[in-house]
Amino acid sequence: MRKAMVLFASLFVATAWASDSSGGHGEGHEPSVPEYILHHVSDTNDFELEVPLSQPIHLGAIPPLRIGNCAPRQTEHGLETPSGWGGLAEGCLDLSVTKHTVMMWLAALLLLGTVLVWSNRDKTKLVPRGTGANLIEMLVLFVRDELAIKNIGKEDGPRYVPYLLTAFFFILFMNLLGLVPWMATATGNLAVTAGLAVCTFIVTQAAGIRAAGLGGYLKHLTGGVHPLLWIIMIPVEVLGLFTKPFALTMRLFANMLAGHIVLFFLIGLIFILGHPAVAVVSVPFAFAIYLLELFVAFVQAYVFTLLSALFIGMAVATGHHHDEHGHAEGGASHDHGKAHA
Amino acid sequence: MDVKEPREKAGSDGSELGQTARHMRAAEPYVSAVWKLVGGAVVGVLGGYWLDKKLGTQPWLMLVLSLVGICVGFYGFLREMARLGKRK
Repeated sequence: MRKAMVLFASLFVATAWASDSSGGHGEGHEPSVPEYILHHVSDTNDFELEVPLSQPIHLGAIPPLRIGNCAPRQTEHGLETPSGWGGLAEGCLDLSVTKHTVMMWLAALLLLGTVLVWSNRDKTKLVPRGTGANLIEMLVLFVRDELAIKNIGKEDGPRYVPYLLTAFFFILFMNLLGLVPWMATATGNLAVTAGLAVCTFIVTQAAGIRAAGLGGYLKHLTGGVHPLLWIIMIPVEVLGLFTKPFALTMRLFANMLAGHIVLFFLIGLIFILGHPAVAVVSVPFAFAIYLLELFVAFVQAYVFTLLSALFIGMAVATGHHHDEHGHAEGGASHDHGKAHA
Repeated sequence: MDVKEPREKAGSDGSELGQTARHMRAAEPYVSAVWKLVGGAVVGVLGGYWLDKKLGTQPWLMLVLSLVGICVGFYGFLREMARLGKRK
């Protein structure tokens, strides 16, 4: 235990040192603490290792991969290649491999490795053996029983367990990788969380269509109003569909980013206040926040999976609701009382 | 990994569901009703503004479509409320 504490403490000191030595990043310009933090949490094409007492080691950038109209254009800062949203508007799709992309690959590989090694594939053995296999079994059972079945239902829940498990473990691995020194948190990137939310969105809509049938699903989009009013009601309902994945995107992104920024700022306090003695307070605080972040990594994976299961469950329930009574308005067709008794 | 429970009728009211799921499902129609009320106005105003810019008819289409949007929003909201009232 004491060894582990010493290791953690030295890692923090190393990080603090690294940020001190990287002061000479740009010639003559010393980056301020906020600039430094933003540089660390943002996504770049350059994967760099900041080793204490030396300049950052660049692991080499994979050249940007761009599709479409990506010719460099003349701006006031010289020649610039369009990228990001602005580039997309000009028809340039930037598919470059970035730091966060590498982290996602790593998370996927680790996920495949650990789960394949630890999953109990021997059907003759009912009980998993070993700590790893037990841990995986515990998490899998938790996602199945507490998330899928409790939020989607006994009947439809098991069908969505594979998706929920994938989302849970993938997010968990990305969150945990972000806590390893010199790595990055891919879930602290809006594009990554949006991508995950899009997956949940697709599964939710598929679940809705599966439960209600395509006709029932489309009927629900019309809001049950007169066809003349569809021109307004259909956009309203379609916009309503996007509120849930939007919440999913922002929540995961903001939580993961905020934790890391707090951690960096606590270390950065040493440089803001400009005295080594501040480390006596800020390093233990940063250590506490780091331990909290370990917990948050699990909580965020859990919450994303829980919300995905809730949304899928709601879509399935709406579908069954259609099944039982259609979307007809006439009072005669309403035997809701029975169905909800 | 396989859950082979008999299909129970009692399960259709969500008795096996967690508390959060039951509350969310109970609240969903009300959330959707409010969204219809607000969304109608939003879609009307934005749609009208966009059409006005496209056709150069400022500000008429925006005025008309926002009125229509508000009315449709109210209509959708009241319908949903009436349906919920009947369900009780």
